[in-house]
Amino acid sequence: MGLLSWSRKKSPWIFHVNAASCNGCDIELVASLTPRFDVERLGVQLVPSPRHADVLVVTGTANALMRERLKTIYEQMPEPKYVVAVGACALGGGVYQECYNVTNGIDKVIPVDLYIPGCPPRPEAIMYGILKLLGIAPEKELEPALEEEIVGAGASK
Amino acid sequence: MEPERVSRLTTALEATATQQRNSTLLAVKPERIIEACKMVVEDREFYHLTTITAIDEGQVISLFYHFWRGTEFLTVKTAVPKSDPRLQSVTEALPAALFYEAEIADLLGVVFVGSPMTGRKLLLPDNYPTDAPPPLRKESNPAQIRKMMGLD
Amino acid sequence: MTDSPLDPKSEASAGLMQYSPENLVPFGPVHPSLKEPEYFKLYLEGEKIVQVVPRIGYVHRGIERAAQDRTWVQNIYLFERICGICSFAHSMAYTQTAERLTAFEVPRRARYIRLIIAELERIHSHLLWLGLVGYWTGFDTLFMWVWKDREHILDLFETITGNRVHKSFITISGVRNDLPENIIEPLKKEMKYLTGRVDYYSDLVSTEETLVARTRGVGRIDQDVARRLCPVGPLLRCTGIARDIRKEDPYAAYDELVPDVKTSNQGDIASLLLLRLEEIRESCRLVTDAIEKIPAGNVKLAVPRVIPAGDSVGHIEAPRGELFYFVRSAGGMKPERVKIRTCTMANILTATEMLKGHTLADVPVVLTGMDPCFGCMDRIAVVDVAKGKEWSVRGEELRLHGINWYKPGRQT
Repeated sequence: MGLLSWSRKKSPWIFHVNAASCNGCDIELVASLTPRFDVERLGVQLVPSPRHADVLVVTGTANALMRERLKTIYEQMPEPKYVVAVGACALGGGVYQECYNVTNGIDKVIPVDLYIPGCPPRPEAIMYGILKLLGIAPEKELEPALEEEIVGAGASK
Repeated sequence: MEPERVSRLTTALEATATQQRNSTLLAVKPERIIEACKMVVEDREFYHLTTITAIDEGQVISLFYHFWRGTEFLTVKTAVPKSDPRLQSVTEALPAALFYEAEIADLLGVVFVGSPMTGRKLLLPDNYPTDAPPPLRKESNPAQIRKMMGLD
Repeated sequence: MTDSPLDPKSEASAGLMQYSPENLVPFGPVHPSLKEPEYFKLYLEGEKIVQVVPRIGYVHRGIERAAQDRTWVQNIYLFERICGICSFAHSMAYTQTAERLTAFEVPRRARYIRLIIAELERIHSHLLWLGLVGYWTGFDTLFMWVWKDREHILDLFETITGNRVHKSFITISGVRNDLPENIIEPLKKEMKYLTGRVDYYSDLVSTEETLVARTRGVGRIDQDVARRLCPVGPLLRCTGIARDIRKEDPYAAYDELVPDVKTSNQGDIASLLLLRLEEIRESCRLVTDAIEKIPAGNVKLAVPRVIPAGDSVGHIEAPRGELFYFVRSAGGMKPERVKIRTCTMANILTATEMLKGHTLADVPVVLTGMDPCFGCMDRIAVVDVAKGKEWSVRGEELRLHGINWYKPGRQT
């Protein structure tokens, strides 16, 4: 793989979109940046614009007002791009399924590569999901203790 | 609420008052809603407008203006016919009512005459289908609205 | 049809009508049909913001309609997902308002537990907010430290209720489960730790130069604005009006454990910082008190699945202010109508008032200062009134603009 792909894989740049969510998933995503979980030590970084991002992380129900915005943001991202749907609402509408203003899952709006279930998923689960998407999680490069911390916490809780 | 206060309001507004748990309910005719709101907030204690609730009751849409005094609620109630749901906007007397009225205009289709938000949606998307009933009316059907908005 | 801008059919009201408390000022010709939904439209004259028009609805999910299709208990799980930050507040306001239609009394132990969780949520919400103020002003260290402290509360939530965010802990007639054994000492220890942190943060926000420069005198409102626009919560209390639903209309165990209502009379964002920190301190005291005095007993009753017919209104003091629920029951297993008025809805008009006269650099701080419960910062439209030009900015761009604007040494 080329140098650019290799470096992207080691340091995924993430753009986060709140598509009509209750903020639960968003605060758990932001919490993964904070010292306790510190996703930045794994190379993950939040960027302010979709034009710089590799991974689009979407939470929420993608209501009628947000659908077009979501599509626009997806189109603004350069290839290669990945989309991660976080939380029950982004997966299939969550508790708002069949409400008159929501989409039952954002994969009806943009293609999704990874689904992270939970309401909301724990920061460890979100981190594990993103690392798994990039194929970093199963590699032996992670110290065993670190992998245990991420995989073990995400699986057992 | 103190009986003198209640009787002052009921006499001046030709209204009826009932006590409902923690709220005094004052039912007024729709033409007198601005006057009623003005009278309530003139009494300095009741200035806090908590919100305006609206319910589709079949033939009419009832509106409840909830005021909180610091010890109890005073709810001014009025109703408009569903066939012609127009009501005077109280935003001149109660600036805080602006978005509460706009929400009811969106969700129940009540027209607040004189509101600065007229013609603008607050909550609903601009492409909300014009031939679908407002979402909180009894006859509205979420599945139908979803289909019309292309959400599936 | 007249020429008056109040007449919706008149020429003068075409375009975008702006609402200003003093007078109605039609702004045009600005076309209201924008490509993307904007959350706040800021009208600038020169550098200063003269008018703000919010457009919300980006989180509108149709919850009030959905509530009519779910049973009384299912609605608890629906309403707590209105907001991930004040989720227990929503479920508690709804449950208490519905319980008002019934004849049973919530057991005393359950009321104490409700108070404990509600106060813990207040602490977590205020800490979250403080961290976000740090983030939006470029003070990343504050953001990291505060959110690390907030993890202590989330651990407590997880131990007591099983979830960090959506606790689903309340039920009609009480709380779902009892407190775990041996929770008393850890809880008291955490409250003591957080009280110490509040001392530290209070000192920090009053002395850190950039933060002070960005918050003192910014977004000032007074009691006149409060009486006219009816804000709630800390936004109301920072003008000096001492109103708090916990004291005015006691619910849960607040009749026995009376909170001390904190106010400030500066009315600006700097005072909001200190005010919310004081509220955290008071919440720590209430939780410690509650856990020491909590009575024994059961935590819920066996209740029928129908709620008797009637209308009920109820409100609580959520972390952001008065949260109001109206519930109508037709005597069945599902509510006929639930109307919710969130705290942020009550505060938007006041927030737009706070923005007037400020520059773009102050927008992040002022909007965050009202502690909004929606991601309103995502996209903001800016209109230059004199030039008739309009453009969109992302919240992130405003954040960076604000940080650069207030860099020491720059002329402001």
